[in-house]
Amino acid sequence: MDFLDIRWGMIWDYRELFFRGIGVTLALTVVGYLGGFVLGLFVGMGKLSKKKWIYYPSKYYVDFFRGTPLLVQILLIHLALIPGVFGHSLGYFVSGALALVLNSAAYNAEIIRAGIQSIEKGQMEAARSLGMTKNVAMKNIILPQAFRRMVPPLGNELIALLKDSSLVTIIAANDLLYAGKVVAGASFRFWEPYLTVAILYLCLTFVFGKIISYVEKRFSNSYVPTQRKKMFSTRR
Amino acid sequence: MKKGLRFISLGLLLASVSILLFACGTGTKDSGSSKNGESGKRVLVVGTDATYAPMEFMDEKGNIVGIDIDIVKAIAEAAGFEVEFKNYGWEPLFPALTGEEVDFAVSSITITDERKESYDFSDPYFIANQLILVPEDSKVEKFEDLKDKRVSVQINTTGHTVIKELLGKTSSKIVAPESMPLAISEMINGNADAAIGDNAVIIDYKANNPKVKVKTIEDDSFEKEYYGLMVKKGNTEIIELLNEGIKIIKENGKLKEITGFDVE
Repeated sequence: MDFLDIRWGMIWDYRELFFRGIGVTLALTVVGYLGGFVLGLFVGMGKLSKKKWIYYPSKYYVDFFRGTPLLVQILLIHLALIPGVFGHSLGYFVSGALALVLNSAAYNAEIIRAGIQSIEKGQMEAARSLGMTKNVAMKNIILPQAFRRMVPPLGNELIALLKDSSLVTIIAANDLLYAGKVVAGASFRFWEPYLTVAILYLCLTFVFGKIISYVEKRFSNSYVPTQRKKMFSTRR
Repeated sequence: MKKGLRFISLGLLLASVSILLFACGTGTKDSGSSKNGESGKRVLVVGTDATYAPMEFMDEKGNIVGIDIDIVKAIAEAAGFEVEFKNYGWEPLFPALTGEEVDFAVSSITITDERKESYDFSDPYFIANQLILVPEDSKVEKFEDLKDKRVSVQINTTGHTVIKELLGKTSSKIVAPESMPLAISEMINGNADAAIGDNAVIIDYKANNPKVKVKTIEDDSFEKEYYGLMVKKGNTEIIELLNEGIKIIKENGKLKEITGFDVE
């Protein structure tokens, strides 16, 4: 039974690939997520716009990127879009990161739109009646409340993006899965490399999960900072 | 209540349509799971990675065709069995053999000592060697010149093995995508300075894309490679059957007719 005959030595031989893989996977995820968040904020706001020329492009953008597989988007961007625009490829990282940014922006846009829409109309009306302009009210009244509700789904999106980043391996990105594939191909053994990859992904999602739950706590209604500065008190 | 029913019926409709479409896609030449074909001969399931023109690839009707496929059909005819081809992709091919999903694999698989440790091979039926593909204005003249260059290969092929030896097995200069067409695209799009692959594939690519400005470079330092049919380790019965077929088509000239050269 060679099922139990597990050899970890070769994982160590290829450790450089695994270390690089962790770095690339993390970099892709972080770049993809931050870019996707900023772009998603614009697109999500765009979907709330009353102006047709803002609303429709935003809507179609989300429809396209949520309605096509990420793998197809990666291949389109890497083999068609970037060579088409620049005349040559800019490397797997640019293609992969761009695909992840565009893809996660669509999902984040929906989260942001839903978050803003979930705040009662009365909040806006009250802010307006206090003499705030629409933008000021949005920035100071609506968004802080909406953001609190967005944190859990945004956290989910981060974890999902980390796992989806493994798809970039198809265009030879040296990510974590790529390391596993190379070792499996060189040794014809599948348990060790893929188990290693799975455990490493698990470690990464665990770390991200911790960060997310900290942020959730930080923005929850019952959050009490440990050292509250006395800004002003009601009593003299 | 009515709403719920509507949803369920919509779901059922979708499911039935997808099953119908799926059946259309596979029902063309389904010989069933029985081990015997129409003529009463036994049917062997053959796995391949059909992205490797002209050796094995998909024609516009979705049939798996190519030089390798013709050879296997000739072998089957000579040894008196029938074959059913299944497209697995390159990497899943290996565990599919171990898990007995396929009886043997044909996919331009070079016989190597490393692979022999985990699988058994038939006698060789095809000679190949690695070729280097570079842009027309490239200064590369031999394999050694690639020492400080970025090189694209299909992941876990013999091309990948030779470049790992030159650049180091964890080098970040190796660009190894999923399939040979992708590896060539990496070179065309400037992600790699050269691509390495089996001669048949590289020559076929160049013949089919005369507009693309590339040239091939031969290097004598590449060892001759022999393709074999791969089976699960210890499956001597299938090996003997295949070798018998290979012997017959070598003797009656059928193999030379297909490939254009003799294999010792």
